[in-house]
Amino acid sequence: MSGRAGAPTVELRGVERTYGRGSPDEVRALRGIDLTVPAGAFVSVEGPSGCGKTTLLNLLGLLDRPTGGSIEWDGVSVGAGSERERARLRLERVGFIFQRFYLLPTLTARENVELPMRAARVPRAERLRRAADLLDEVGLAGRERAFPHQLSGGEEQRVAVARALANAPGLLLADEPTGELDSTHTAAILDLLERVRTARSATLIVVTHNPTVAARAGRHIAMHDGRIAADRTGA
Amino acid sequence: MSAWARGRALRHSRLQVVLAIAAIGAAVALPVVLVSVGGGVSQHEISELENAGYQISVSASGLHGIANAHRLAGRIDAIASVTAASPVLSIAVDAFVGTGGATPVLAEGVVPGAFSATLGPAESGLFPDPLPLGDPTDLVHYANGTYTGPATYDVMVSTPYEIAAGVHPGEQLDLAATANRSDAVAYNVTGTFGVPPSLLGPTGAFAILVPLSDLQGMTGYAAGASTPVPDAADTIEVAVTGAVATDPAALNQVEAEIQSLVPYYGVSELSQEAQQLEAASGVLTGFYLALSSVGVAVGLMFLALVQLRRVEAERRSIGIRRALGLSGRSIAGGIVADGLGLAALGAIVGVVAGWAIVAALAAWGTSTVQEAATLAIFSPALLGAIVAGILGLSVLASAVATRAALRIEIPEALR
Repeated sequence: MSGRAGAPTVELRGVERTYGRGSPDEVRALRGIDLTVPAGAFVSVEGPSGCGKTTLLNLLGLLDRPTGGSIEWDGVSVGAGSERERARLRLERVGFIFQRFYLLPTLTARENVELPMRAARVPRAERLRRAADLLDEVGLAGRERAFPHQLSGGEEQRVAVARALANAPGLLLADEPTGELDSTHTAAILDLLERVRTARSATLIVVTHNPTVAARAGRHIAMHDGRIAADRTGA
Repeated sequence: MSAWARGRALRHSRLQVVLAIAAIGAAVALPVVLVSVGGGVSQHEISELENAGYQISVSASGLHGIANAHRLAGRIDAIASVTAASPVLSIAVDAFVGTGGATPVLAEGVVPGAFSATLGPAESGLFPDPLPLGDPTDLVHYANGTYTGPATYDVMVSTPYEIAAGVHPGEQLDLAATANRSDAVAYNVTGTFGVPPSLLGPTGAFAILVPLSDLQGMTGYAAGASTPVPDAADTIEVAVTGAVATDPAALNQVEAEIQSLVPYYGVSELSQEAQQLEAASGVLTGFYLALSSVGVAVGLMFLALVQLRRVEAERRSIGIRRALGLSGRSIAGGIVADGLGLAALGAIVGVVAGWAIVAALAAWGTSTVQEAATLAIFSPALLGAIVAGILGLSVLASAVATRAALRIEIPEALR
């Protein structure tokens, strides 16, 4: 299963993100970020708390809009599109994995995985089959009917990974995906993400503090005070 | 999200959901009760009019304002197509039973034969035919306006009055225009009659029937220089032949002929009165609905607040959905669907509650309320319109919450 439109090459040019612009509480979260992520890359974004990692990830995944500069996917500007268009791109081409899982508590594991497919109007039979396959792939076969509160932290994160993969996105964005997991579960989730990335030729961008996670990436971006402080390639 | 999953989500805010349903239910129950009882009473009255045994009514302004009623009834009776013209005089008199004091009672003065001929299907079974009131034409005592002929002194009493006063056929009942026993005249109770269902039950039930000329003589509405209106009546009810009764043009013509006889009196067809009553009923229904709109507005405001509260409580869930790529339309659709679901449940509760209230009034209300509740009509079309209106307005009520949901900043909601 490969992404509908494949993994995009992501380009950021002079991207700025300022909160509360013009107010006494103004915060410049990102300051002139220039970054190109080729399709299929595995990139880690590291840095101290408050350096702008999550803001960068939100902009890459079109959850937020830059206050300056441009964001392009495959040479097409996506940073300033309509909310409707950005929602469509998120649905079809982006998979998010959040630190705190963010599963919907009133939905079962299967329904959580189904949610993006339902929004993409995937036929029910296809939806059920794909949800079962994805939960099987993340090692949760037989736990389809469990609600989030009935799952362990590792299981919840695996459901979140399955949900992120539901519409076979080309761009996988993970914000501290193992931040709340022990070392055993961390390794399992990283194995899973790498396997998926390789199998689907997807781009994987991971925000992390964890050296174990960062060590798996092929490219490392270090951020400091809203700027890219270092950008190096290699394990 | 499936309806099942949506229901699960609603269970998480059970108290708010129950309160919203209760508010909408209360808002719906009020118009259901008002419209069903009001509509039922109006329909009953219209049906009474439509089933009356007469089709045209002559009336005059003022108290007992038709003069020369015997003669006028005779002239109307002479019109082709008219089968009977029945003058009726209604006056409260005093009755004396045994050695007891005066008790007021509603006396109806009628021409026995004409009265029987103008009874509707619902009433005819309540009266014996012929009426045991002596001269069926009432012309013997009337004696061409001289009232010198022999009076019958016959009286019929309603069955409720028979029971209440303890006067039975074959016994004597003294009647007078005043509460003074020395003015009373002895009448023979010759029969009884039933009382048709009417919202005026307590008043109309205590009634007696006497020959028209007897009542006129007793109350001073007979003849002579001092009488306020000689040979008085309140109305003359006119029955026509079956063919004319069902032909509006022919009925109009008879009405016009009668009107030409009495240009100074009102002449109206019962169908017109039924139409007027129907129009009045429509206005009343609108009034009931307008009155209920206050309750509906409060219920919908409550629904809007509950929806808004739920959006606030589910900021993160909404943020997650939007982060996953669900469109604003989908988020809005979910909120509106929730609102519709709550409004639909509230409407069902309201209809059932309205029905239960009416049933309770019919069982335990005071006599008039009980009778009105018994007549209630639950029109599926009207109830459907009320429910549809509530559902439509619930969409508006959900709009506030929808707007709030769509203004949520995703990064902020996920923080």
